[in-house]
Amino acid sequence: MNADANDELFEELRSVLHRTDPVPAEVTDFAKTALGWRRLDAELAELLEDSALESEAHALARGTAGVRSLTFRSDELTIDVEVQPGMLLGQLAPAAAATIELQVENGDVAASAESDALGRFRLPVEGDGRFRLRVLRPGASAVETSWFSI
Amino acid sequence: MNLDQLIRAAAAGDQAAWNELVERFQGLVWATARSFRLSRADAADVAQTTWLRLVENLDRIREPERLAGWLATTARREALRHLRLHGRELASDEADLFESPVDDPLEVALLAEERDTTLWRAFAQLSERCQTLLRLLVSEDEPSYEAIGAALEMPIGAIGPTRMRCLDKLRAFVGADSALQGGAA
Repeated sequence: MNADANDELFEELRSVLHRTDPVPAEVTDFAKTALGWRRLDAELAELLEDSALESEAHALARGTAGVRSLTFRSDELTIDVEVQPGMLLGQLAPAAAATIELQVENGDVAASAESDALGRFRLPVEGDGRFRLRVLRPGASAVETSWFSI
Repeated sequence: MNLDQLIRAAAAGDQAAWNELVERFQGLVWATARSFRLSRADAADVAQTTWLRLVENLDRIREPERLAGWLATTARREALRHLRLHGRELASDEADLFESPVDDPLEVALLAEERDTTLWRAFAQLSERCQTLLRLLVSEDEPSYEAIGAALEMPIGAIGPTRMRCLDKLRAFVGADSALQGGAA
């Protein structure tokens, strides 16, 4: 009895939710367009750690509470990034002389920097939004990070 | 094309194949992005990031049959990240008790029928977990229990019983609302 009543209620709910909470058209459009941003000639450095997903206790234990830090990794390169007001502080491991580009969503390069002998770099970043880094090292294939929001 | 073929074609740049993937899974991604009671605007951001994650990983998917579960897991993680970074308008479940559950003018305007409004109000009173589960279940004609389990971090065997319990609660809230309005008496 309840099962039948629930099935009827479930169908009513389906109808209400489809009318009131459809997938927004801009999400569908964005998703379809996103194929254009796939990597063509670069390895992915995947976002492996994000302090935003850590518990506060963990962050306190690491002494990183309040600072957003991100770690990306490809097969051969680790990229640590700290988000500071108006800038990203980064570190390549192993240390390498490289050009690091900050890409924004339309594919433009918003900023670029050279890493120093210790693999450190600093990139100015304006406002919030989605970004990714592209790391170019002489004699090695390009590496691109996952997209990240700040 | 089957799922495996669609993924391979999309990874090679086939826009039509990619569009088909988006259309097949966007209901699942959207329903998951709306979990943690994120607003439509926040959920849109989460859903977009989820699609970018899939684009990043298109050439690395080894088990096509697990794509739905992967998308749900990814959308859940991105929803959590968004929540940690930006918070949300409703800070706690307690606050919900005192908020009008129907506060989006668009949503109210679309609910012409009194019965719909009652159902929507009742739905808004459900726990976040029930809301997400029911959103996921109605998002597709044949929902993948594996994906739903991933989206909710719930054992697959618990989905059926939980669905029943959530619908029981929903029916109770609908009944209480109707009684308050005195319509049925």
